[in-house]
Amino acid sequence: MSTGRGPERTYAPDFLTELFQNPLDPGYSDAAASRRAGRRPTGWRRSTIRVVTVITLAALGFLLAIAYRQTIEGEPGRAQARAGLVTQIKQRESEADQLTRRADELREDVNRQRDAALSGSDAARLRDLEAATGLGRVKGDGVVVRVADGPSEADAVTGVGGTNLGKVLDRDLQDIANALWSAGAEAVSINGQRLTATSTIRAAGGAILVDFRPVTGPYEVSAIGPGQLERRFRDSAAANLLRQVAAEHGMSFGVRGADDLTLPAASEPQLRYAVPSVSPSPSPSGAARSNSPASPGAGSSLSPSGGGR
Amino acid sequence: MIPVLALLAGVVLGVVLDPTVPAALLPYLPIAVVAALDAVFGGVRAKLDGIFDDKQFVISFISNVLVAGVIVYLGDQLGVGGQLSTGVVVVLGVRIFGNVAAIRRHLFRA
Repeated sequence: MSTGRGPERTYAPDFLTELFQNPLDPGYSDAAASRRAGRRPTGWRRSTIRVVTVITLAALGFLLAIAYRQTIEGEPGRAQARAGLVTQIKQRESEADQLTRRADELREDVNRQRDAALSGSDAARLRDLEAATGLGRVKGDGVVVRVADGPSEADAVTGVGGTNLGKVLDRDLQDIANALWSAGAEAVSINGQRLTATSTIRAAGGAILVDFRPVTGPYEVSAIGPGQLERRFRDSAAANLLRQVAAEHGMSFGVRGADDLTLPAASEPQLRYAVPSVSPSPSPSGAARSNSPASPGAGSSLSPSGGGR
Repeated sequence: MIPVLALLAGVVLGVVLDPTVPAALLPYLPIAVVAALDAVFGGVRAKLDGIFDDKQFVISFISNVLVAGVIVYLGDQLGVGGQLSTGVVVVLGVRIFGNVAAIRRHLFRA
């Protein structure tokens, strides 16, 4: 501060050196020097500055107290918010599960009613179509591909650690599913989630979503297909890649043939934009509701033979 | 003696009144505390050095808190609030350490 302006000008050391060598405000030594020179405040000025010091210290205590309280109060608030969100997530999940169960029940019901209403050949044809598109439960022989995350190097408590190269990615499940399809699979499901033409396998955050529903490891991809399905899948590029990852990074990967697999039905796809190009059935708003699929190419949507109900 | 009493009175006041800090000022509270601590340790060291000065203490306290707040505010406006806060904390932290070391030498001769 008091670098002399005299003939021998001293340069202050650079900021960091100054900071480390002399952390005290230079003002204190300046004030002490001026006191030594005999200029000290007297009378009311002196007492005023004393009072101001006391007020400053009180303000400091006040600051410390409210800062402490803020920190202490903030903590349970955050924890509460987190716990609240967790409970909400759990609740919504169970609600969704319930609704899914209800939807499944209703679907069964619809199927039964439809079978009762339809003639035998129509019902069989519909069942075949449903099985092929993934909307009906199917059973048969096939393979089960099982993949699971390799051991994580991350610290279990803090979650800090390197990226786990043995972790199963959404890409891996996609590759498995595609390899199974190309090996001739006719029905594929991941952890009991049947894949259809509009199914998605993607990652959101650290979780893998199949048709927007989270699946957790170990992942089991089941497929029903021809007898050579297992051999063809083993020879596929995806299987080779995963075997390599398993050998190098500890991911577990297994393929086994399985008899009498039962794959569940997928939930009904909601087509929002695509409409059937040939109108196969009358519009629901029609006066006579026909349940029988009209013969293909039939222009008229009202078939008098339909069993209206 | 009186300064310590004043400090305690401030703490008691803060606990009793339990004021709600406006949300806009909340981000500046931690940095203000660090800046205030720097002024306090500077003052204590000056006291032990025998060169304590009331005016210097008051001014360093107020300017420390204000400058720290302004720097963080500016940083927030410029989008580098976190980094500038870190800078302020580092500088003040170094000063606090230095002053505490001097206080320690005074008290324990070590």
